[in-house]
Amino acid sequence: MVEFPQSIDDLPTSMPRWVGQPIPRVEDRSLLTGQTEFVDNITLPGMLHCAIVRSPYAHARIKSVDVSAAAKVPGVVAIVTGEDARRETRPIYTAPPGWGGNCLAADKVRFAGEPVAALAATSRYIAEDAAELIEVEYEPLEVVTDAEASVREGAPLLFEERGTNVMYQRKFVWGDVDAAFAAADHVVTERFRWHRVGANPMETFGVVSQWDPIEGTLTCRGSFQVQGFSATGAAATFGIPLNKVRFIAQPHGGSFGGKGGQRGTTITTMLSRKSGGRPVKWIEDRIEYLSAGGGQAWDRHYEASLALTKDGRMTGLRVRLLDDLGGSAEGYGAIGAAKPLASFTGCYTIEAAEYDLTIAATNKLPCSAYRGMGPPPHNMVLEQLVDIAARELRVDPAELRRRNFIPKDAFPYVIPSGNEYDSGDYEATLDAALALADYAGLRARQDEARRDGRLFGIGVVSTIEPGVFNSNVYSLVGFPGGTAQPEGVTLGIDLFGTITARVGFAHEGQGQHTVISQIVADYFGVEPDRVRVVVQDSMNAPPGYGPGGSRLGVAVSAATLGAADRLKDKLIRVAAKLMEANPAEVELMDGKLRIKGTTGAEMPIGQVAATMLTRSDLLPDDMEPNPQATYVWTAPGRTMPDESGRVKSYLTAANACHVVAVEIDRQTGEVRIDKYAIADDCGTRLNPAIVAGMTQGGLAQGVAAALLEEYVYDENGQLLTSTFMDYLLPTIYEVPIPDKTEIVTPSPFTPLGAKGMGEAAIHTAPAAIVSAINDALAPFGLRATETPVTPNRLWKLLQQAKG
Amino acid sequence: MSEAMAARRTVSVTVNGVAHERVIDARLTLVDFLRGELGMTGTHVGCEHGLCGACTVLLDGQAVRSCILLAVQADGAAITTVEGLATGGQLHPIQEAFMEAHGLQCGFCTPGFLMAVTELLEGTPDPTEDEIRDVLGGNLCRCTGYEAILASVKLAAAKLRALRGTVAGDG
Repeated sequence: MVEFPQSIDDLPTSMPRWVGQPIPRVEDRSLLTGQTEFVDNITLPGMLHCAIVRSPYAHARIKSVDVSAAAKVPGVVAIVTGEDARRETRPIYTAPPGWGGNCLAADKVRFAGEPVAALAATSRYIAEDAAELIEVEYEPLEVVTDAEASVREGAPLLFEERGTNVMYQRKFVWGDVDAAFAAADHVVTERFRWHRVGANPMETFGVVSQWDPIEGTLTCRGSFQVQGFSATGAAATFGIPLNKVRFIAQPHGGSFGGKGGQRGTTITTMLSRKSGGRPVKWIEDRIEYLSAGGGQAWDRHYEASLALTKDGRMTGLRVRLLDDLGGSAEGYGAIGAAKPLASFTGCYTIEAAEYDLTIAATNKLPCSAYRGMGPPPHNMVLEQLVDIAARELRVDPAELRRRNFIPKDAFPYVIPSGNEYDSGDYEATLDAALALADYAGLRARQDEARRDGRLFGIGVVSTIEPGVFNSNVYSLVGFPGGTAQPEGVTLGIDLFGTITARVGFAHEGQGQHTVISQIVADYFGVEPDRVRVVVQDSMNAPPGYGPGGSRLGVAVSAATLGAADRLKDKLIRVAAKLMEANPAEVELMDGKLRIKGTTGAEMPIGQVAATMLTRSDLLPDDMEPNPQATYVWTAPGRTMPDESGRVKSYLTAANACHVVAVEIDRQTGEVRIDKYAIADDCGTRLNPAIVAGMTQGGLAQGVAAALLEEYVYDENGQLLTSTFMDYLLPTIYEVPIPDKTEIVTPSPFTPLGAKGMGEAAIHTAPAAIVSAINDALAPFGLRATETPVTPNRLWKLLQQAKG
Repeated sequence: MSEAMAARRTVSVTVNGVAHERVIDARLTLVDFLRGELGMTGTHVGCEHGLCGACTVLLDGQAVRSCILLAVQADGAAITTVEGLATGGQLHPIQEAFMEAHGLQCGFCTPGFLMAVTELLEGTPDPTEDEIRDVLGGNLCRCTGYEAILASVKLAAAKLRALRGTVAGDG
């Protein structure tokens, strides 16, 4: 039975020195000197370079593909087409059956940029030249880019054999929603449109695939966010045993869920096989990423209603979502429509809720995962309804929220959609944010601004960040998911007394290797530089998943502590034998095994480990000479969805409150952020500097989703924002640097009390900024309901006020 | 491909103080030259259209985007890349500052930021916040939200000023 410390104070050290401290990251020296081996740095003997031919049409039948001219280009070694893909591979494994094609289209293309052929040549330059010579004849088909049009009768069908563009439809009802609305004194209803945004890590996806024709094995080195999952997918795609597939996750330049790469991995594997086993590298270029990669998410049409009593108690929530998933379900974007179940009713005690969900196919890029994974738009919708209600009831928006918060003594608290929140004090977080922002002062400034005819608005928004994702909730939308989401760590002490942690996920930016080092350093009483974290490939790592869904900080710290506990038990048994004591009398403290409560006879862990490795004659009879231990953690108490879709999914519920003030330029429609304050509660902070960095990074993406970023398609399904000139990532000029403060309610469900918080402020910022904008517009009776709230959209709206 | 772009050219450059000469395709970009021909993979490619700044290097002391320059345009120049900052296993003060102030997360954009900041602090040892923002505004980072990068640059400037003060004092 493994014992987990419930707080930092429970660690076997008289004074924790590392956990909870903002120590510098162990990853940084290599990154800062340019030494980290990102996938594009890899060159293997005989390596070829891949270029991909993509459809210029959003919807078309492929009549013919002629590769003869390309094949004659000196340096071209292998060419593959959709016919090869159909013969050699199964459809893309991340799409539910019938809603996805193969990595190269054979019959028809469903979005502009869909791969139809690819080749491998001795340089990328030659590959690109030759790719231009591949002639593809298309028969263009009618295009549908709007989800509302695509679900109507008679719309052009993307998957004709399905007879519909509706990929998924289900109405979830939790509690007596009709009664809540019938009895309500106030019902507020609004429609919202959230346009596509997406991940855009600074490194695109890249892979080097190598097929071994003798052994029949496949090795892929790539910027894989979840290498084990990707390896499993590759084995299924090629119909080969999983133990013949080795995926090596290189350190990668960010992911945010949107790394993509399923097609590129399969295509390069086909090319490697066709070239007789030469390694084939493909590095996605940025235009490929923007138009055909893993970077688009959340293309949503909402209609939602909130029921309230006359004293402002929220009693029912109805959300109808039409989610535009694009040209297939391969990007697992549908998960983003399921995850809101983990925090459907936000911070509030709403007891009845309904979710009418339709997922539609259109001729746009298939949507992918993105940081937040669905709740950020949902939160924007819910929080706007709260604000509309506050205005109707003439109650301050902060006060209306306060009245409806789940009280701090009600945890653990089960929400109508079945998830259980672990802990929280939402009122404390709200109060902290209001104080930090000087809310009363901001309202005074607003009064003054309004007297001067200026548009000044304040948003106050509280949200939940579900942490420690579990794929049980994703099984509702066709994703293969159970209740176990393992993450393993192996800890070992060597002859020199240094400690190695072996894990199955690469550096990606969140600093989890640092967190492991901190925990091990305190647990075994060593300096962090005596701990090394080693990444193992999919063949060697213990069962594990990797980062995703604000999961890994909790999962890997729990796995580390589990392995540490097992290793400690071994050390205690050996030390007890050596000290001629009962193991029950021996403890680990400050890196030494000692008789409990005394400081006399003690042995450093390194001495005990070295004894284990060298003196079998001194060991207990049944003891192996192995100072190593593995623990594989999964969140306890998870359930599969019941018949109404209720499911205990995410283990933790972090909470944040953002208070933001904006001023709108009436002439241009530009939004200037005047004040930004954040109070958040993610339980115990294992490394406060990392937490602050995650929060600020999530804020940047949230602000950009509210004001800047949008993938724009024309009516022909052509992407108009295929460069960073048009798709507006925020620079330092656009990202506010807020005042930040914290509330700490440790999670009772996790070792050390930490909650998942990697997605952070993206859950809250879009809602808070839209709230502030609408507060500024309120005197005119106007409301922004479409994101991003660009100057153009806002200016048009303001014209209505000028009449 | 035009004949001019296919033509082979000899390029001689000094990178981080070491002279290199290669015969290359005229169309080879500077970043592909550095990474592919010279094996200096610390300079990263983020967008290949001059917007993100990940590929920033110093060309005769000036920060440039190596993805939209041809290697032939750098013929005869002295180039500094991220590999040229640390010496003898010791981080450059700017690198130290980024580490201490948590100015990076995934680290992919970081070499470009470091080079842009190197240029800034060479010419402007005590920059105002506006001057720092003016330089950082040219580079994209998707992880940090820039707050810690700004703090890193302020810390780096202070470190470099202290070092220079020490040197001046010694002289």
